[in-house]
Amino acid sequence: MTELLVKNACVIDPIRGINGDIMDIAIRDGRIVESVSDRAEVIDAHRCLTLPGGIDSHTHVCGTKVNFGRYMSPEDMRAGRTQRRGKMHVTSGYYVPTTFGNSYRYSAMGYTTLLEGAMAPLEARHTHEEFTATPHQDMLANTLFDGNWAVMDAVREKNIKKAAAIVGWTLNAVKGYAIKLTNPGGTEAWGWGEDVTSIHEMVPHFDVTPAEIITTMIQANELLKLPHSVHLHCNNLGKPGNYQTTLDTFDLVPDVNPNRQTLYATHVQFHAYGGGTWRNICSKAEEITRSVNSKPQIVMDMGQIMFCRTMTMTADGPMEFNLHCLHHNKWSNHDVELETGSGIIPVTYSKKSAVNCIMWAIGLELALLTKSPWQCLLETDNPNGAPFVKYPEVIGLLMSKRYRDEECATLHADTEGRTSLCALEREMDWHDIAVMTRAGQAKALGIINQGKGHLGIGAEADIAIYPIRTDSVDPAREYRKVVEGFQKTRFTIKRGRVVSRDGEIIVDGANATFWVNAKVPEDLRMENDPEFIKRFEQFYTVRMSNYPVQDVYLPRGRCIETEAFT
Amino acid sequence: MRVILESKVRSKPNLPIEAEAIIPRNFLKGTDLVVFEGNKERTLSELFWIFVEGTAVSPENIEVVLKGDTSRIKRVGEYMDTGNIVIEGDIGMHCGNFMSGGTIEILGNADSWLGREMRGGTILCRGNAGHYCATGYRGEKKGMQGGKVEVFGNAGDFCAEYLAGGEVHIHGSTGDFPGVEMRGGQLTIEGDATRPCANMKEGSCVILGTVHDMIPTFEKIDKRVLPEWKITADVYKGDVANRGKGTLMIKNPGAV
Repeated sequence: MTELLVKNACVIDPIRGINGDIMDIAIRDGRIVESVSDRAEVIDAHRCLTLPGGIDSHTHVCGTKVNFGRYMSPEDMRAGRTQRRGKMHVTSGYYVPTTFGNSYRYSAMGYTTLLEGAMAPLEARHTHEEFTATPHQDMLANTLFDGNWAVMDAVREKNIKKAAAIVGWTLNAVKGYAIKLTNPGGTEAWGWGEDVTSIHEMVPHFDVTPAEIITTMIQANELLKLPHSVHLHCNNLGKPGNYQTTLDTFDLVPDVNPNRQTLYATHVQFHAYGGGTWRNICSKAEEITRSVNSKPQIVMDMGQIMFCRTMTMTADGPMEFNLHCLHHNKWSNHDVELETGSGIIPVTYSKKSAVNCIMWAIGLELALLTKSPWQCLLETDNPNGAPFVKYPEVIGLLMSKRYRDEECATLHADTEGRTSLCALEREMDWHDIAVMTRAGQAKALGIINQGKGHLGIGAEADIAIYPIRTDSVDPAREYRKVVEGFQKTRFTIKRGRVVSRDGEIIVDGANATFWVNAKVPEDLRMENDPEFIKRFEQFYTVRMSNYPVQDVYLPRGRCIETEAFT
Repeated sequence: MRVILESKVRSKPNLPIEAEAIIPRNFLKGTDLVVFEGNKERTLSELFWIFVEGTAVSPENIEVVLKGDTSRIKRVGEYMDTGNIVIEGDIGMHCGNFMSGGTIEILGNADSWLGREMRGGTILCRGNAGHYCATGYRGEKKGMQGGKVEVFGNAGDFCAEYLAGGEVHIHGSTGDFPGVEMRGGQLTIEGDATRPCANMKEGSCVILGTVHDMIPTFEKIDKRVLPEWKITADVYKGDVANRGKGTLMIKNPGAV
């Protein structure tokens, strides 16, 4: 029995409605309890800001795509080098660091749970292997279904139950957590050299539209009672004028689940562009947020970009090819058999580029114009918009109008006329930031019941104590202190153990991987469907029996069971 | 001031020494420097006999002379900005990385990656240079950006890859792919070369010897007299496969 007592903590816990109370937190065997004995180890938080462990609801840190980014960027491995020290492995890399580099840096920032944004089912083994090498965060994997042939067949037949059964079987087989749709239909079309440009355009060779895929998957998601909603990367990413596609997509979404959103729209900054070409691109954040403000069934995340060199990686193959045509840099595209594809290219976001400046402004506008912080979460689509180590700067920008004005003064002259950022007075408070970096994520991902995102009795003891005194720091003026404070926790506690102290990792990690087993009725199960088996054996390069990920790949797997179809 | 470093006989002479500390500026404060032999930290005096002649008040007056077996000493002159280094024998890999000023003279041969990502200064190599002479780091888009590298012998493969500025002059021949991915600067090869300047974007390259396996995506635009070499050369533009605007001048295009 191990016990820990955190004393004098200034706690903000939005899920339980606690906002800045000074209290003690008792921990026994990795869970938060009422009280502990006096033998417990004591940490004095000295009234510093104490939050539930951070949760990143969309990041790319593990899997084949990320690893290919590493192959492609030997020059990046020169940055961020740290030597082996105590319990810490060697790390290297800045925008595509080694897995341990990711894990340590997230831990130093107080993050304890990560959702890998896109896992191709066929390449799940690699993703799970890298999960075990990202030891200080609990991991969840979004599983790609955007171009799944079997799903698209079911969509064409309008057979929602079958679509749900396929999703259930696949999630169970690859130990995935939620449904991810990346440019639905478009990535598969790219496998045939084509793309889709609106949600009502037919996907070539499959006779379905992206809109049909999205609505069917939303219904299938609810049939399976999955904890998270459909996680959508909309069509037409990064094209001027794409905001209309995004609005059309949002209009498709019914409000069917009282506990959480029905659609999670990711990195919306990349989907909120007006204009028609790169020359007249402008912000449509107001239109997007007006839609989101009136639709509680939608949660989005920012997809903020920051000015730096980084790597874009997504399952959206055609988008990456278009990006390559702009930059003429090294690039890669990849097709994953009957499932999806991907693309990777390095980019540099520069203040000299009007387009980049407008993108930067749009991300902040989205967050500031969305009334409820529960509906617009903070992330950079790491590493697409910026490496996650930039989160503290994003927090600083959201909390301080002065910081934004100072940054705006250094940007390309066209930014002010084509965005409304400079006119926005809103400055977020500590509570808003706590929602946007942990509580909102926990609710959106449906992991509050797993004890994530709050500090109530019985919750997992994932706690971040930042060296910030909320009573003495004015974030609007002293934004530098805010940025520094969020860069390095005083203590990061993971499942009741102090894992990071002042940015230094002091123990070996022991993370868990959450996955969902939706119990589909016997007669609908895919392993009993002769047509599915026949198609599988015909088209895949692997046998169906070799496809499921063995338990050995998840040394600390945590299965969430749901009673589907009930 | 002259600092003479004469390498001591080592029990494992093949073990590489990482000696980025050997630059003239560092000797201003004495010879108490640290290098790595394999994975072991060593002081300079453990590996070298050190002789210091005279004194200096500024680093540009310092000359470092390396004697003895120096063929496994890597990264000599890395980030050097002023002064002189003379190497009397051969030198190991990565000599003159990121150099921005001063002069390095190598009387023997240089191993691979001579003058990688150089910004300024001069490197003279009296013998042969290895592969990747005057190039960039793998994956980086810009290689050498300024200064001059002159090799009096031959150079290996991928000489002046990603060259973006400055001057590279090879008196002998080069191996495969010299000037590949050039972005600027001037490359001169007095001997032969194979498949030069693939995917060149900008800059100019002169080859006085015979070119083997000329890349087909270069467009012949002119014939020009080059008075400094007293020859008439074919002038090519390319690499047209990627809309490159580089200039390639060849005396003898050889058989395609």
